[in-house]
Amino acid sequence: MENEQSYQVINESPRSKKLTWLIHHFQREWRLYIMLAPTLIWFILFLYKPMYGLQIAFKDYSVFKGITDSPWIGLEHFYTLFENDQFIRAIKNTVIISGASLLFGFPVPIILALMFNEIINPKFKKTAQTIVYLPHFISAVIIAGIVITAFAPSTGVVNLLLNALGYDSVYFLTKPEWFRTIFVGTGIWQEAGFNSIVFLASIAGVNPSLYESAVVDGASRWQMMWKITLPCIMPTILIMLIIRIGNILEVGFEMIIMLYQPATYATSDVISTFIYRQGLQAAQYDLAAAAGLFNAVIAFVLVIAANTISKKVSRTSLW
Amino acid sequence: MSGVKLEGVVKSYKDVTVVHGIDLEVKSKEFVVLVGPSGCGKSTTLRMLAGLEEISDGQVSIDDKVVNHIAPKDRDVAMVFQNYALYPHLSVAENIAFGLRIRKVPKPRIEELVKEVAHTLELTSLLERRPADLSGGQRQRVAMGRAIVRHPKVFLFDEPLSNLDAKLRTQMRAEIKQLHTKLGVTSVYVTHDQVEAMTLADRIVVMSDGRIEQIGTPMELFNNPINTFVATFIGSPPMNLISTTITSIDGLVYADISGNKCLLPQLENPCDLEVIIGIRPEYVDIVPVDNSSAVPIHVDLVETLGSEALLHCRIQESAFVVKVDTHGKVEHLKHLDTLYFRQDAITVFDKTTGRALSRSSVGCNA
Repeated sequence: MENEQSYQVINESPRSKKLTWLIHHFQREWRLYIMLAPTLIWFILFLYKPMYGLQIAFKDYSVFKGITDSPWIGLEHFYTLFENDQFIRAIKNTVIISGASLLFGFPVPIILALMFNEIINPKFKKTAQTIVYLPHFISAVIIAGIVITAFAPSTGVVNLLLNALGYDSVYFLTKPEWFRTIFVGTGIWQEAGFNSIVFLASIAGVNPSLYESAVVDGASRWQMMWKITLPCIMPTILIMLIIRIGNILEVGFEMIIMLYQPATYATSDVISTFIYRQGLQAAQYDLAAAAGLFNAVIAFVLVIAANTISKKVSRTSLW
Repeated sequence: MSGVKLEGVVKSYKDVTVVHGIDLEVKSKEFVVLVGPSGCGKSTTLRMLAGLEEISDGQVSIDDKVVNHIAPKDRDVAMVFQNYALYPHLSVAENIAFGLRIRKVPKPRIEELVKEVAHTLELTSLLERRPADLSGGQRQRVAMGRAIVRHPKVFLFDEPLSNLDAKLRTQMRAEIKQLHTKLGVTSVYVTHDQVEAMTLADRIVVMSDGRIEQIGTPMELFNNPINTFVATFIGSPPMNLISTTITSIDGLVYADISGNKCLLPQLENPCDLEVIIGIRPEYVDIVPVDNSSAVPIHVDLVETLGSEALLHCRIQESAFVVKVDTHGKVEHLKHLDTLYFRQDAITVFDKTTGRALSRSSVGCNA
């Protein structure tokens, strides 16, 4: 009898201990959980709950039958997608636009941050930072408006400049060969400044005595930038690169919608605009879901691959 | 070899002056330690010497050459920082070689020098490791390696042992001393730890509020502090100070302590004077000796340290600490009611200015 009692006590003790710990933990840290709640709710509502609907990518979905009652059709939508030239074109455009954004857009914030770090006059530094951060806070619609106005054939500043130099006007936004350049350039102009903040913060975290030690050793500012600043912020650069690679198939949907037109589809139609047209405009929700799922799986694989490579090469990784 | 000279060196940040015109001469091959509490200006002085801070006034010379407007790299000094300042992305070998690479020393020569330094500091097996993979002591050794590899004229140490635990600090302290003896390079070392200062220095410079309080050998400072600040800063436990009045009887000077007359060293104007008398915990006797005065006490606590014990007692309601040899026994110490102050162990300070009016003659023959 005594043995049974002691057995029960031993058996229940860790559970009740854990419960007591949890209660105390929540009593102590409830403010943190309240702060965390909006993000958690957002994730659950907009990222996890919709996952339930992903199954329509494998179903012949009918809005009347609903998600559960629609019949399973296996990978048919995926076969359809890969037989569709427009989808193949969208993948190609997405990869080219993203690749160009990554190639030209990713180094710019780093260069900006390094340049800001070298500015000694604090007033000039603040003014320069404000000017380059500002476009980030302008809505995409206004940015698109500015781009359309700037590249307008008769009144746009770009064409006026070309005319002044003796060239004919070019209707840039109807020319497929110009779309990617304009889109990537706009993205860099809008976000490079703001994206430099994370690198500036990383630079601020570099131990000042590393610079002092280098000064005593005889390093110039240029050498300090190459041999200290850049290597010290490399982990941040790699983390940002991994995140960017994960988003490589997510090209800014709003900006493309506002800037593209059928004449430029050949170079501007990306996976997200393809999904938008198929899903919302043509009401082919199941096909659009299949395209979206394909997009997500590729992005997932890319993040895993980038993370693994980074971990092996530089000891820096997201997880 | 090179000496260092600071003449009337001032450092001000706008209206705030943090170093008030200090004069100091460090002889060639000498190991000088700047010691003082936080914010006393010792690190600023060192940084001015390195060229990392501009001087507001005065003159800094290295090897008889004024270096006020000379860039740090051209002063031929090497500095070891408190937090090691090792480049995290470079290996131990690359860290040591950094300064040489910047100065475009030929690669074979760099390799040779790095190997030599690594051998001196016992870092040979660690050359390929990154700083993150090293212990605190090893990192400190790499930082020193980076300093000595250039064979500079002057070594500057900015609290290099502060981040180490007590045991490692003692070990590294000995290594720094040995290294200095071996290399014989002029060294200026900043610390707030008076034990470090006492054990390492040829001469100690005690600083307070941006001024030099006293310069001297460790034993000079220990036995003859110039004022109450130095008396309480140097020594562990610090010198005991008792406020009292003095009287002169038949040419001898006495202090009144708890109603007893305590014989003091001779003073120049021994009229009725408010003074502070100071006596080191190590120089108090628990049995009467020649020329000693009895002082009644009340023992509050006995701290046993092994071969020694610290007696925490009260004299005239002031705390008073005595360091005594235990000879293996401490029980009897708890029941002590009298201490004996030798005349030659007492230092008398002016109560208003805190300056020493007499010199202790203990250790003068040593």
